[in-house]
Amino acid sequence: MPDRPSVLVPIRVLEGESLPEGVPKFLANAHVVLLGYHVIPEQTAPGQARMQFEERANRKLDQFETAFTDAGATVERRLVFTHGAQKTINRQIIEHDCLAVLVPNAIPAPENVLVAVRGTVGLDRLARVVGGLFADADVGVTLYHVVGGGETDEDVEMLLESLQDRLVESDIAEDRIETLTDTADEPLDAIAETAEDFDAVVMGETDPSLATFVFGMPADQVADRFLGPVLVVQREPPADEGNGMEEAAGER
Amino acid sequence: MEDPAVDVETTGENVAGERPEDEPEAVTDDVTAHDEEVELERTIGLVGGLAIGIGTMIGAGIFVFPGLAATAAGPAAALSFVIGGVIALLVALPTSELATAMPRSGGGYYFISRSLGTAYGAIVGIGLWLGLVFASAFYLVGLGHYIVAVLAEVGVALSVPLAPHVLLGLTFAVLLVALSIGGTENTASLQNIIVVVLLAILTGFLTYGSLDALGVFGRETAPEAFFSQGYFPVLTTAALVFTSYLGFAQVATVAGEIKKPSQNLPRAMIGSVLIVTVFYVVTIFVATSAFGAEPLGEFGETAMVEVARELLGLPGAVLILFAGLLATFSSANASILSASRSVYALSRDALLPRRASKVNLRYGTPHVALLLAGGPIVVLVATDEVEVLAEVASFLHLVMYGLICVALIVLRRRDPSWYDPSYRMPGVPALPAIGAVASFALIAFMNPTSIFVGVVIMLVSYLWYRYYAGTVELKGDV
Repeated sequence: MPDRPSVLVPIRVLEGESLPEGVPKFLANAHVVLLGYHVIPEQTAPGQARMQFEERANRKLDQFETAFTDAGATVERRLVFTHGAQKTINRQIIEHDCLAVLVPNAIPAPENVLVAVRGTVGLDRLARVVGGLFADADVGVTLYHVVGGGETDEDVEMLLESLQDRLVESDIAEDRIETLTDTADEPLDAIAETAEDFDAVVMGETDPSLATFVFGMPADQVADRFLGPVLVVQREPPADEGNGMEEAAGER
Repeated sequence: MEDPAVDVETTGENVAGERPEDEPEAVTDDVTAHDEEVELERTIGLVGGLAIGIGTMIGAGIFVFPGLAATAAGPAAALSFVIGGVIALLVALPTSELATAMPRSGGGYYFISRSLGTAYGAIVGIGLWLGLVFASAFYLVGLGHYIVAVLAEVGVALSVPLAPHVLLGLTFAVLLVALSIGGTENTASLQNIIVVVLLAILTGFLTYGSLDALGVFGRETAPEAFFSQGYFPVLTTAALVFTSYLGFAQVATVAGEIKKPSQNLPRAMIGSVLIVTVFYVVTIFVATSAFGAEPLGEFGETAMVEVARELLGLPGAVLILFAGLLATFSSANASILSASRSVYALSRDALLPRRASKVNLRYGTPHVALLLAGGPIVVLVATDEVEVLAEVASFLHLVMYGLICVALIVLRRRDPSWYDPSYRMPGVPALPAIGAVASFALIAFMNPTSIFVGVVIMLVSYLWYRYYAGTVELKGDV
């Protein structure tokens, strides 16, 4: 069995956001980094919020942790009080070397998963996430590519085949994998539309220059319209621990 | 990198049976970690830190004091600001060192309570809270003056029972506290923008003013003896205008939220002191050159507007009015927020009821702490005693500054194993000793009313500690 891919599950733990149904099962083969976070306004010191809310937040995280471990996942957890959600999420991704971040939405017992393949960049990480999560699960995996200008049919075929091969190597039965291509001007619209027939979406981060914003990002737009869980596979972290990323996101 | 936290076992409880919160386990560049799983994110960068320091300070020194200071000391008021700046720097250095060793919320209060014990901590902590309250009231009276000046400029004269600037100061006090409680807007980034705009306006204005004063534009400046009021007023004026240098310590009150504290705290504190000192000195030079000290004093709190009018005509006056509004507003706002942080730090350590730092569920803001800052501010603004407000604020801060210097000397001498500051100030023990003496000495030059109010506050703080939290032990292993 392949390594458990580490997946960050960020939850605004004190704002009534709870663990959507089906998510623990969906991530049963993952190493879950469970991040409960609470965003506080700048007038408030994080320690002040901690004094008041730590217990309540931990009670909820206890429940979530149990749900994940019961489903079979390994869990590591953090509770963070922060002025900047994005900085906190980015830091957790780096510190725990997370392959993907989950945009948590409810999911029925997952039967089929749409894997949006963008290009060769990041293909390895995509394969590790999909292979790791669905190797021994009874889930249909559909590799989906929106053909862009300048791509030949051969390119696309090669791309999807190489991913398919990787997945078969990591024990996903070949007959569970399908491929699907599409042509569209707006790949995101196409992904969101196609996703309606699926239970969950796995996709990469989009524009590297915007990579710090996991939320409010294309992946998030998909998640908003799709209403199911979206796993956002993270790009390879830059060699220097991504201090620049934090500056951009956390500065106030 | 990871620093071990202060080696302190806080013990004891207050009369309500509350105990000090546990100390954090570790401090990193990005978080304060309470145990393996609970972290407090650090989100303020160098720019944010500088904005807090400069934003708090620049309002007073440039927009409220020039007239008052010039009356008292003549052109030598510039020297008063230099003296203030040097003392501020002498304190900013040890504060930086202590802050990198103990980057926790509460700043000076935290350093002193952990190194000199609870009694000193209580006096300084309550003094810091009330000192910021006095400072805030002072800025708000200044803000009131600026709004009145703006209205006068457009030809509106308020006829109200109270002095109009007091009424406006009160209105803004209530407004600011209400905004802090109910507003979840990103006020800090607004503060950054305000500071940048301010510095841009001032740099332009002061550059022009300096060239003019040096005769580049061929205008005669009022020739005057530098020490027109003698030498002694230079020192009393330094004591008065020291309120313009209180802001760097506000950076330390949010030390728990500064990213990469080992680098950013010293840079933000020392940097903001150096920057505002230059601005203050140049401002006084330009102001006294434009008019001469005596006429300047007659313009009172908004003297800078008249300076701008003299140099640049109506557009200059409007520009400086606008800048003055921004500056006094941001100073008052930053002080209210810092005062609320101080209340939190005291309540965390059981020196004030735990209730005082309660966060309200609707907005997530510390409404009790903000009201504990806002309530007294309203009362103080109503007194309209600009100079007393400024001096009491300085008094309470200077006591803390002196003790910070003492704490640094004590820690360096005992050198406990947890004390591992990443920034070490030069010249120990001479420089911090001079800093301590200078801080305490400056108090002696204040007017008797301010000294009396300050001493009473210290005394009450001490008695409160004896009564309310006599068994609480906060001193670290020193």
